[in-house]
Amino acid sequence: MANVLDLRRRIRSVKNTRQITKAMKMVAAAKLRRAQERMTGARPYAVMLASVLASLRRRMDAVDPTTNTLRSPLLAVRPEKTVLLVVVSGDKGFAGAFSTNIVRAATQFIAEQRAGDEDKQIDLQAVGRKARDFFRRNYPTAEPRKSPPAGTGAQQSPEQSPDQAAAVPARTRKGDVEFLPSEPAAAITLEKLRFEDARALGEEIVARYAAAEVDAVYLAYNEFRSVLSQRVVVERILPLVTGKGGGIDRPEVAASAEPTLEERERMAEAAMSAGLTLRDEEGEAIRAQYRDEARRFGTANVDYLYDQAADEVYSSMLPRFVSALLYYAMLESIASEHAARMTAMDAATTNASEMIDSLTLTMNRVRQAAITKEIIEIVSGAAAV
Amino acid sequence: MAELPSRSNQTEFPQNRLKVRLVTPERILLDTDATSVTLPGEAGVLEALPGAAPLLTAIGAGELLLAGGEGGDQRFVIARGFAEVLPDRVTVLAEYAEAPDAVDKPAAEKQLRDGQKQVGEAGDDPAKYRAARSVVLEAEAKLGRAGQ
Repeated sequence: MANVLDLRRRIRSVKNTRQITKAMKMVAAAKLRRAQERMTGARPYAVMLASVLASLRRRMDAVDPTTNTLRSPLLAVRPEKTVLLVVVSGDKGFAGAFSTNIVRAATQFIAEQRAGDEDKQIDLQAVGRKARDFFRRNYPTAEPRKSPPAGTGAQQSPEQSPDQAAAVPARTRKGDVEFLPSEPAAAITLEKLRFEDARALGEEIVARYAAAEVDAVYLAYNEFRSVLSQRVVVERILPLVTGKGGGIDRPEVAASAEPTLEERERMAEAAMSAGLTLRDEEGEAIRAQYRDEARRFGTANVDYLYDQAADEVYSSMLPRFVSALLYYAMLESIASEHAARMTAMDAATTNASEMIDSLTLTMNRVRQAAITKEIIEIVSGAAAV
Repeated sequence: MAELPSRSNQTEFPQNRLKVRLVTPERILLDTDATSVTLPGEAGVLEALPGAAPLLTAIGAGELLLAGGEGGDQRFVIARGFAEVLPDRVTVLAEYAEAPDAVDKPAAEKQLRDGQKQVGEAGDDPAKYRAARSVVLEAEAKLGRAGQ
């Protein structure tokens, strides 16, 4: 049996660990709160853009009736032969199963896509170090392209015709599923995410779609609905057409994974002990205030004058919508990551406390045993005299 | 189109004020009211007064000017956006919007150099040229008012 000194040392070490996990939990909780605020701040823009697009969409068809061409290459629906999957994960660990979950959802998606059509080619792009490392390890890396398609800060030309753009030479693939390194994606540090970062990636993706390099773009990320409710979703963000009604309010969800009841309980516990309110009432009030007005943006029941041709307004708005979607998805993913880290660190703190309790019990027993032994020795020594 | 509203219309709006909201992807930068708003429309500068006809326009790089706001006139550098003008309300969605003193000048200088380089490289490709020009215009808008 270990001696008292060893046990005392171990207890001290576990206590130190507990202090660290506890601090990490509190930091995660604070960052989660900030991430939620950023989401609240970003919400009106996303909603307004979606509503003005939806309203424009109601006024005009995707196909220009006079020239019989699509108003924007982003509306072109092609058979999905090559698919781009963008995965938003975390940059750091210590967040429980956060990164594992998103990577699993991605691999599952790849398997499903390949099961449906064996010749389907999938390009992978990763935002966040965890998914990037995973893809790099598990899939062949595509050769870097010679000429990057996106201008650094330029607005893409949505009116570029598809056949003109298709002149981009096809690259030679090493495998059907390839990891595609992308400069804008690699440049994103989630901790300090700015809209400009998301826009650079969005423009690259839009350029690849407009050039018919990919036939559909999916986005896998952690959707953040509340502190207690996050799920992994895979959404199709391009082409910008959804099946029913043709609305573009919300991208089509291709797959999702909900947390179990048990996981939810753990999240609730962690949030309570970190001093987070589960119902974000303040944020809710702000959101409610802007929600209605945001929905009305660009949808007034009047005939707008257009300073430019309406379809020009429309088609220049679409790439921006993609960037806004990406940005918002990243914000949600960041909030989810902090929530996951908070839960994981809360569990770690609880485990450390349990360990300390059991070690203390053992230590006390060992100490008591030693004392008892000494007394027996003294008593039997006295009896022998 | 410089002045959209006809003067007679304004009697319907007794306060003669516009609610102005400037929204960026990151936050609501401005939520206030003013007597007039000057927007850098893609096709030219336009001014919205209370009672303006409903208008939807793309916005180029330039300056958003609010007249008669609470704290006097307010200026913002904005780029890449859309504006909805309604008789009593102007809402501007812009991917880039900052107060002139908050503009990151070194970054804008770099953007200007990059843009000029792109213009040089664009050659005969009209799409590339247009993209490069918009970079330059945006950088110039950022620099033009910065620090003044």
